[in-house]
Amino acid sequence: MKNAQSILILFVILFPWLGAIIIVAFRQNKEKGQHWLASAISLLTALAAWLLLFFNNTLIISIPLGGIFGNIEFVSDGLAILLVIIATSIGSLAILFSTSYMKGESQLSRYYSLILLFIGSMTGLVLSSNIFYLFVFWEMTAFCSYALISFYNDDPKAVRGGMKAFIITQLGGIGLLIGIMMIYADINTLSIPEILQSAATLPTLTLQIAGFGFLVAAAAKSAQVPLHTWLPDAMEAPTPISALIHAATMVNAGVYLLVRFYPTFKAVPGWNMTIIIIACLTSLLAAIMASVAFDLKRVLAYSTISQLGYMVYAIGVGGLFSSQFHLLSHAIFKTLLFLSAGAIIHSLGTRDMRLMGGLNKKMPFIRNVFIIGSLSLSGIPFLSGFWSKESVLEHGLEHGPLWAYTIMLITAGLTAYYTIRCVWMVFFGESRSHMQPHKISSMMKTTLTPLALGSLTTWLLAGPLSKFLQSSMPFHHFHTYSFWEPFLSVLTNPYTYLTLAVIVVAIFGFFRVKKMKGLIHEVRGIIGFAEKGLGFDELNKVFVTPTLWLAEGLRYTQTGILNWNIFGILLGLLFLISAVLLGGI
Amino acid sequence: MSFSFLDMIILAVLCLFGIGIYALLTMRNLIRIIVALQLLVKSVILFVILAGNITGQMALAQSMAATVIVADTIVAVLGMALAVQIKRKTHSLDTKDIAGLRR
Repeated sequence: MKNAQSILILFVILFPWLGAIIIVAFRQNKEKGQHWLASAISLLTALAAWLLLFFNNTLIISIPLGGIFGNIEFVSDGLAILLVIIATSIGSLAILFSTSYMKGESQLSRYYSLILLFIGSMTGLVLSSNIFYLFVFWEMTAFCSYALISFYNDDPKAVRGGMKAFIITQLGGIGLLIGIMMIYADINTLSIPEILQSAATLPTLTLQIAGFGFLVAAAAKSAQVPLHTWLPDAMEAPTPISALIHAATMVNAGVYLLVRFYPTFKAVPGWNMTIIIIACLTSLLAAIMASVAFDLKRVLAYSTISQLGYMVYAIGVGGLFSSQFHLLSHAIFKTLLFLSAGAIIHSLGTRDMRLMGGLNKKMPFIRNVFIIGSLSLSGIPFLSGFWSKESVLEHGLEHGPLWAYTIMLITAGLTAYYTIRCVWMVFFGESRSHMQPHKISSMMKTTLTPLALGSLTTWLLAGPLSKFLQSSMPFHHFHTYSFWEPFLSVLTNPYTYLTLAVIVVAIFGFFRVKKMKGLIHEVRGIIGFAEKGLGFDELNKVFVTPTLWLAEGLRYTQTGILNWNIFGILLGLLFLISAVLLGGI
Repeated sequence: MSFSFLDMIILAVLCLFGIGIYALLTMRNLIRIIVALQLLVKSVILFVILAGNITGQMALAQSMAATVIVADTIVAVLGMALAVQIKRKTHSLDTKDIAGLRR
C-alpha cells in the first residue's frame, strides 16, 4: 500500500518530465501526434494525482543523498495533494484546450514539453518536504513561466514580458534563498517538518529576516504590490498558458509558501500586519486597474492579482482554510474565464474589448460559461466564488482590523463592477467591429464544461476539505467544519448581506456610470493613470532595467574563444580555492 | 644546494602544471590544447601519488590516480573526436576561426 503511494507521488513529478523528453524526442512527428501525446501524458498524471486521494495517511518519502543539502523528501499532506490535484487537472484541461487553440502553430514540441516540465515542477514544489529542493522546483517553475511567456519569440513584446517576469520572480527567489540560508545557519536542517517544529527555538532576528524574505518571495511569485507588474505583461503568453500558469497554479505558489510556513512566522512581530497591508493594497489597486483596462486578458490578469490579494489577506488574518478554499474556487473559475476568453480571442483574433460587443448571439456557449465564471468571480450566490470570498471576509472581520475589512469590502464591489463591465463589453451592446467569429471547436467546449460545473459545485467540498487539511497537517491550525457548517455560518452572518448589497450597488453603479459622461470626463486624469498601471511599472524598472543593462554588458565577455573561457574557469577555481583556504583558517 | 627526491617530484609537478596552464591559455590549435590538458592532468596525477606517499595512503592515491587516468583518457579521446569533426566541418583547428558562439 505504501509502495503504491510512493510510486504515485514520484509518478506525478517524474512522469510529466519524462513526457517532456518524449515529446522533444518525437518532435519530427505529425502535429496530431504531438497533441495526443501531450494530452495522454497530462491526463495520466492527473489520474495519478486523483488516486492519491484514496490514501488517507500522510506519507513521507525520503531519498538519501547525503551532503549538506539533505535528503530529497516528499510529503503527501492535504495542502500538497490539493495543489497537486489542481495543477495536474487544470494542466491537462489546458493541454486539451491547446490541442484546438494551438492547431497549426509551429514548434508545438517546445510548447508541450515546457507545459509538462512545468506541471512536474509544480507538483514537485508542493510535494517537496525539503526546503532546498522546494527552492529548486520554485526556480524551475519560474523558468517554465519565462519560456512560455516568450513562446512567440519573434514578438518583442512577448520576449520583454518573459524577461520581466523572470527578473521580478528572481527577486523573490533571492528573498527565499536568504530566508533558507538564515534558517539553515541556525538549526542546521533543511527539512520542512523539522523547521516547523523548531520554530520556537529560532532567534527573533533569524525569524524576522527569514519571514520577510519569504514574504518577498511570495509577493513576487503571487504578484502582490509592488512586485505585481510582471503578471499583466505575462499575458503575451498563449491563453492556455495564462490560464494554467498565471491564474491557477504558479501564482498560487506564493500563497502556498506563506501557508506552509505560517506556523513558523506567525509570531514574528509585524509579519501578519505587513501581509494584511500588502494584500489590501494589492486587491484594491488591482481591482481599480481592472476597472479601466480594455485588453480582455489584462482585465483577467488584474483580477487574478486582486483575488490573490484576497488569499494573502486571509493568511494575514490567520484564516488558512479560507485562503485555501478561495484558492481552489479561484483556480477553477479563473481557468474557466481565461479559457473562454481564449476561445473568444481565438475566434475573433483580437484581445481588445473595444472591438468586441454583441457576441451574445454569435457565441451562446461561450457566453454561458463566461457568465458562470464571472458570477463566481463577483461573488454572486450560490456559486463557489461567493462561499469562498464570504469565508475570507468573515474571517477577516472577526480576526483582522476593521479598515482592512472595509478595503476588502470595497474591492468586492469593484470586482463586481469590472466583471459586469467586462461581460457587457464583450457580449452585449452593439457589435463594434465587423469581425465574424469562427465556430468554437468541440474540444474547447469539452474542456470548458467541467470547469463550468466546477465553478457551480466546488463549494460543496468546503467541509471535507477543511477536515482533510486539518487531519494531515500537524503543525497548522485549519478551522474544521462539518458539511453544512460553512454555508450556515456564511448565510447567518449579517455581513454577508452587506457584501451582497455592495455588489448589487456596484452592478447598478456600472449602468449608471455609463450615462454619466460628465463624471468620466472629470476623473479622466485618474483613469489615464490607472490605465498606465498606477506608476508601478516605473518602480519595477528599478530592478528590471539594471539587470538587462548588466546582461547586455556581460555579453561582451562571450568572445567564444576557448583560451579566454579556460582563463575564466581558472580564475573561478582560484577564487574557490582561496575561499576554502580563507574559510579554513 | 642539493635536491631531494621529493623536491624533484614537486618541481616536476610544478613544471608540468605551469607548462599545461601556459599552453592552455596561449595555444590556439585544438590538438595542442588537448595535449596541454593532458600535461595538466598528468601533473595532477603525479601530485596525487606524491600526496599519497607523504600521508602514507598509497592505496587510496593509486586508486584515485587510476580513476583519473581513465577519465582523462575518455576526455582526450572525445576531444580528439570533436577536433576531427570540427576540422572536417570548418577546415580549421584554430579556436579563433571556430568560435561560433561569439556574440
